[in-house]
Amino acid sequence: MQTETMDAAEEPSSILWGLDPLFSAFVRLYVSDILHMTESTQVPGIYFYNQHPVYRVDVLGTVVYKREREDFFCYGVDDGTGVINCLCWKSELVKDDRPTGGEGGDAPGGFNVEAELSKLRRSQQERCRLDIGDLLRVRGTLKTSRQQREIMASNFYRVCDPLMELQISWMMDLPQLYRDCYDKKLQLDPHATSRDSPVGGASIVVRNFLEKNSVSRFRENDLKELLEPLVAPPSSQQLQQLLKQTLQHLQDEGVVYPKVKSPDQVYLVTSRDKELLVAILDVIREDSRREKYAEKGCHVLHILSAVRQRYSVNVSRAALQLLVQSLESSSDIISTSDSHYIAF
Amino acid sequence: MLPSAAVFYFPWELNSDLQDGQSVRTCGRLVDYQPEESKATLSAQHASKEHHVIVHTMFVEPFNPIIGAQYIVLGETDGNEGIGTTVRARVLNCVDGVNVALLHKAVIEQRSFFRERERKQCDTAKSADAT
Repeated sequence: MQTETMDAAEEPSSILWGLDPLFSAFVRLYVSDILHMTESTQVPGIYFYNQHPVYRVDVLGTVVYKREREDFFCYGVDDGTGVINCLCWKSELVKDDRPTGGEGGDAPGGFNVEAELSKLRRSQQERCRLDIGDLLRVRGTLKTSRQQREIMASNFYRVCDPLMELQISWMMDLPQLYRDCYDKKLQLDPHATSRDSPVGGASIVVRNFLEKNSVSRFRENDLKELLEPLVAPPSSQQLQQLLKQTLQHLQDEGVVYPKVKSPDQVYLVTSRDKELLVAILDVIREDSRREKYAEKGCHVLHILSAVRQRYSVNVSRAALQLLVQSLESSSDIISTSDSHYIAF
Repeated sequence: MLPSAAVFYFPWELNSDLQDGQSVRTCGRLVDYQPEESKATLSAQHASKEHHVIVHTMFVEPFNPIIGAQYIVLGETDGNEGIGTTVRARVLNCVDGVNVALLHKAVIEQRSFFRERERKQCDTAKSADAT
């Protein structure tokens, strides 16, 4: 059986696994793909399909092999591409050997608990006790035991599909799922700067510095000393480049903005710019009184253009968004919809 | 010991090209059943020709034979008879009322997906070798 492990260098880091939506899903793979997935070297029990970390699967197939033990059923499921063992634990109702069909006397009102319970037991057994040839749906975790890949079922039931409708729709859905999700590589936001990148690291250093020292305004050169240790080997050109990229990144995030463009650029830290905060609040308060915005609220772009006219033309949307969110947290304004705000 | 996977074949594809003992799945209309010999005949129409599949039913008896109904059979090929390929059934399910055209479409869609994927893998393997 396939117990190949992935080359450690090719595996995506386990920190990133949670970002992949497939990691939390019961992935509908073909059984042949499930059997051929490579196991992770970082965490055994996690498998990779096309760089996607998978540990839970969803399978629909015909039972071609059956083994029953006291506590569980072991069904071999064939979906046309492969056969896999599924360990299906018996629930208490299924294990119950009491003869079903004990219909006792009717209680007044017509509800007989014993009869209902035996009906439940019967239906549960019908759904869980399968024979060869029945259609089985299994959702569970993957594991490799004794060099064989198995599914530990968390949920399983016999599917009633006399006209093959479900099987046909499964056959039509799976190629689409593969094309749309499984065969596509995970796309993390291409614009996101990760912590590991030099700009990401530098941004964090600058943010910590601004936070710790309660800086409200600074010049580019003030940060030079801060970023020097991050450039190795030391080079003024690289330092300049890193500085420019970091400042651009911080501006894109709205953390800082250049209030007045000048040769000796001064940047303001958004969260500490009280004047900007007051200007935004004034804009929202005044416009909320106008009939046009009284009910629906002001759109964030409208607020942005008003603030740019009154206060500074260089205020970015990201900076505005930051302050609008802090105003909302302090209950000075309310959001009436996703991007509309109104004074409280 | 798990049996091997039963790939879907249309009845007209079950010919001597297939190896003996290969697990297959197919479907057709039940036209004949001889319980004494445990032999059933499924038939399917394709390209203006009627194709027959002989099915040995000893493992799936007793079953309620509905002549004229659609059946799905899963089993191993057994081409020794000389009368064409036969299938030794492990599973024989009546699926009367199934949308045969849709089933065929689904099978073809699945096959074209596998072909497409195999071609892509070959291409990436070739380009990896070239670099």
